[in-house]
Formats: sequence, structure tokens, C-alpha cells
Amino acid sequence: MTPAISTRGLTRRFRGSFGVGDLDLTVPAGSIYGFLGPNGAGKTTTIRLLLDLLRPDAGTIELFGRRLDRGHRDALALVGALVEMPSLYAHLTGRENVEVTRRLLDVPRQRIDAVLRRVGLEDSAHRRVREYSLGMRQRLAIALALLGEPRLLVLDEPSNGLDPAGIVEMRALLRELASDGVTVFVSSHLLAEMEQLATHVGVLQAGSLRFEGTAGELRARVNARLAIRCGDAARASALLTANGETFVQDGDTLYVTLSTRDEAQVNALLVANGIPVSHLAREHASLESLFFELTAARPAREAA
Amino acid sequence: MTPLVRALSAELLKLRRTLALWMCLIAPATVVVLLVLQMTFSRGPAMQPTPEAAWLMFAHGVLGIWCFLMLPLFVTLQSALLAALEHSENQWKHLLALPLPRHVHYVAKWVALVVLLLVAFVVLCVLVPIGGWVLDLLKPDFGIGGPPPLWMLVRTSAAAFAASLLIVSLHTWIALRWRSFTVAVAIGMSATVCGFLIGQSERFGYWYPWSMPLHVMAGKGQHLELVVLVGVAGGLVVALLGPLDFGRRDVS
Repeated sequence: MTPAISTRGLTRRFRGSFGVGDLDLTVPAGSIYGFLGPNGAGKTTTIRLLLDLLRPDAGTIELFGRRLDRGHRDALALVGALVEMPSLYAHLTGRENVEVTRRLLDVPRQRIDAVLRRVGLEDSAHRRVREYSLGMRQRLAIALALLGEPRLLVLDEPSNGLDPAGIVEMRALLRELASDGVTVFVSSHLLAEMEQLATHVGVLQAGSLRFEGTAGELRARVNARLAIRCGDAARASALLTANGETFVQDGDTLYVTLSTRDEAQVNALLVANGIPVSHLAREHASLESLFFELTAARPAREAA
Repeated sequence: MTPLVRALSAELLKLRRTLALWMCLIAPATVVVLLVLQMTFSRGPAMQPTPEAAWLMFAHGVLGIWCFLMLPLFVTLQSALLAALEHSENQWKHLLALPLPRHVHYVAKWVALVVLLLVAFVVLCVLVPIGGWVLDLLKPDFGIGGPPPLWMLVRTSAAAFAASLLIVSLHTWIALRWRSFTVAVAIGMSATVCGFLIGQSERFGYWYPWSMPLHVMAGKGQHLELVVLVGVAGGLVVALLGPLDFGRRDVS
């Protein structure tokens, strides 16, 4: 299947900062793709390149197999986008804001009610945007992005400035869109948020792509660990060392990295040697810990 | 609908409830009211002019102040207001990510400014006769009588409008090129002030873009054809070059 986004060697440098270098992104159609990275990693630069707001120094972009550059902008008809803070006309009403974009896109008038309903703003559409809360502005901007019935939705930090209820609503909306077949490309530094949402993940640091794959593949890169509490931590650690296991000790808890033995075998080893185990739990690495592992692996200036 | 027509229709909607729309009434009305008050309180000519001459004196007075001062400032302010609609919340990152040719947004702004200026000229042509009649009521000694000089008014206005197309194009580019409202207004105000001196130069005055509209009326109108021609041709050239620059620009 043709990917929703495919970039090859995408590069854009700025004087005095990283920009992005040699990005090969592949965003599968139908995925929710979490584009992760610390602030300043180049996420917004990448998104601006994907929308032809910036011109690349080198490299190519294809959206659903269609080339995108200054001379070929038709592929943007497949995209709805929200880059950073919503851009709205504060002196116009919510409905008038949608109507401005509707006129530009030349889509049927009925679409206005459809998108306002979808983001839950139909009751506030007659109010001027200057009276809107940040959450309402964010939803209106999503309505604008959805107006052209895009196959790909590109969102830059959509949870910024939203309260917890707003974040939950946003997550539900994105899931709903994905279930309708819309590919969602969403950048974020909120890793916990992406962990609950993303089917695919790309990790960007200092302008380079450090990892790309499914969320499961990312987790599999780091071994799970086993938390053990037992009657005699000192004997247990000696025994584990003698048997070639690596672990760290935190108080009376031992964290064993699972590699050669699984949890049952580690348990059997301890019990067979007369060490009673009171607590045994397998811990999955969170995306957050993986992320720090990936992005802290190299000092930032090395990639510059 | 072509992309340009769509962009123009969006532009029209964006102007709703804006100062830019009101300025088309406020700017010409200010000049007419000012001239009515000035002529009401001035001593008046030593020799009583004919009614036609009195009408012409009033109409010339209004058009002179309009072309010399208010028109360049009007173009400055309106171009800055039109551009600020997009600069203020960086609307460009929304507009330019839509599947329309980029230059369409630029051309739509230029057309919007041309139309706003045209509306202001029409309002001026309507307000001058009204102002003359009010002046006649306030100060019958001024000598206004008979029909207003509509032909002179329309002809001079049309020529001044054509001669102002060069500054319309220059200010469209300036206002869209720099995000700062202050930069656009500072350039326009400085250029207008420079016009006080340069515009009076017999050798260079009619080559100075911000003085071209005034030179439609200067002397016996000996520079009228030149300033109209240069205004229109120069205006079109700059209006065509602007989108080339705009199309290459990145949105930061």
C-alpha cells in the first residue's frame, strides 16, 4: 500500500540551528503516527516541509505517492493541517472562519455544519472567535483542517494548552478519525499521550530520525525487566551474579533485565536455591523511558 | 470557480467588521469636512468668482488635499490593515498549506486594495457635491451655485486613481513582505512626508510615485498623461513581480 507520507533524504538547514537532515520518513496509510522528539528537535520544521511552507535544501516528499514541491502542490488537497497555535480571524465568528476556508477550498456549504458538529462547536459557531477559549480555538482549527475531507491529518502539538478534559476529547476525536480511515500524523513531546494513541512512532532528535516503526517494535528494542522482592536480597544478588544475570538494586527490590531467562526461570532459580520470593513483576518499558534512552544516547552537538 | 475568484470571495468575507472597510468612508469624508470648514471660516476671495469657478475652487481644494496627503496615507494604512489580517496570527501557515497556487493570495490582496481605493474615490465623488451644497448653506458668500462640476470631478479622480496604482502595488508588496505593521506604516508615512519636498520639484516631482496622483492636477495638467501611464504600467509591473517574490518565500 502506498504510504501516506514518504520522504527521502529530506534536508533543511538553518543558520545557527539544526534544522533537519536526511530524513527518510515512511508513514503508513491508516496509521496514527506519533512524531516524537524533544523541543527543538526539528518536528515543526519537518511539518512545515511536509506542507510546503518551507522549501527543502535537498530531498523529496511524496504524499500518497504524489510528489509535493513548490511546483506541484495538488497533493495538499489530501491534507488537513494544524501547525502550532491555531490561526484564526478573531473578528469573525466561528462559522465565518470556517466559511473563509470553505470559499478557498470550494467545498459544499453543508460541510460547514458537518465539521462544526464533529468538533462540538455548533452551539458556539455564531460567537466571535475573540470570545473563544483556547480549547475552542483548537477545536475550530481542527474543524478547518477537516473541511476538505482530508485523507491525511497533520497536527503539530495539538494538546498544547488544552486542559486534561480537552486532551481526552482530542484523543477520542483522533481515534474516531483514524477509524474512519484518516491517517493521523501528530507531533508531540507528551510521550504518555502518544503511548495511548500511536500505532506507529518516529523519534527525532537534533534533526535526525532515531527510530521509526510500530509502537510495539520500539518497545521490543529494549528488554523488559523483572522487579523482585525476596527474603534475602544479599544472597539473591550473589546468586543472580553467579548465574550471569544483570540487575540493579533499589532498596530491597532487584530489577533484573530479562534476556536469557524469562521470569519463570528466574523465579525457579531463586526458589530452588532456598530464597523465598514475595514479589515478582514484569515491567514493560514505557515509551517515555525508551524515548530518553534513544534521545540521550548521543550528545546533541554530535548530530549538528 | 477559479482559485483567484475563490480567494477574492474569501477576502471579502474577511473584511467584515474591519476598520479597513470603514476607512473608505472616513478618509474621503475627513477631507471634505476639513475643506468645508476651512472655506467656511476663511475670508474668501477678494473678487467674487462665478458660481462655476467657486465650485471648481472647492472641488480642486478637496482633490488637492486628497491626492497630496490623504491618498498616500490611505494606501499605506489599508495595505497594512489587509496584510495584518494574515500577519497577526500567522494565518499564512494555514493559507499557504491549502492546495491553491501561492500567488493567488498575493493577487487577491492587491485586488482588494485596488477595490478599496476605488470605493474611496467613488465616495469622494459623491461627497464633494454634498460638501459644496453644505458650504453654500453655511457661507453663501463663497458663491457656489448651479450644478457641481461632475465631469471634472470624475475625470480628475479617474486619472488620480490610475496614477496611484504604482504606490498601490509597492505598498501591497511592502505590507506583505514584512510582518510588522509598523514597518509598513513607517515606510508609507516617510514616503508621504518626502513627497512634501520631492513632489514640488519641477524636474523630479512627477517621477516620485507618492506624488504621481497629485501631478494629475499640477499646473495645467502637463504631466497628466505621463503620470497616468507610468502609474498604470509601473503598477502592473510591480504587481506582477510581487507574486514571484512571495511565491519563493518560506513561512517561518
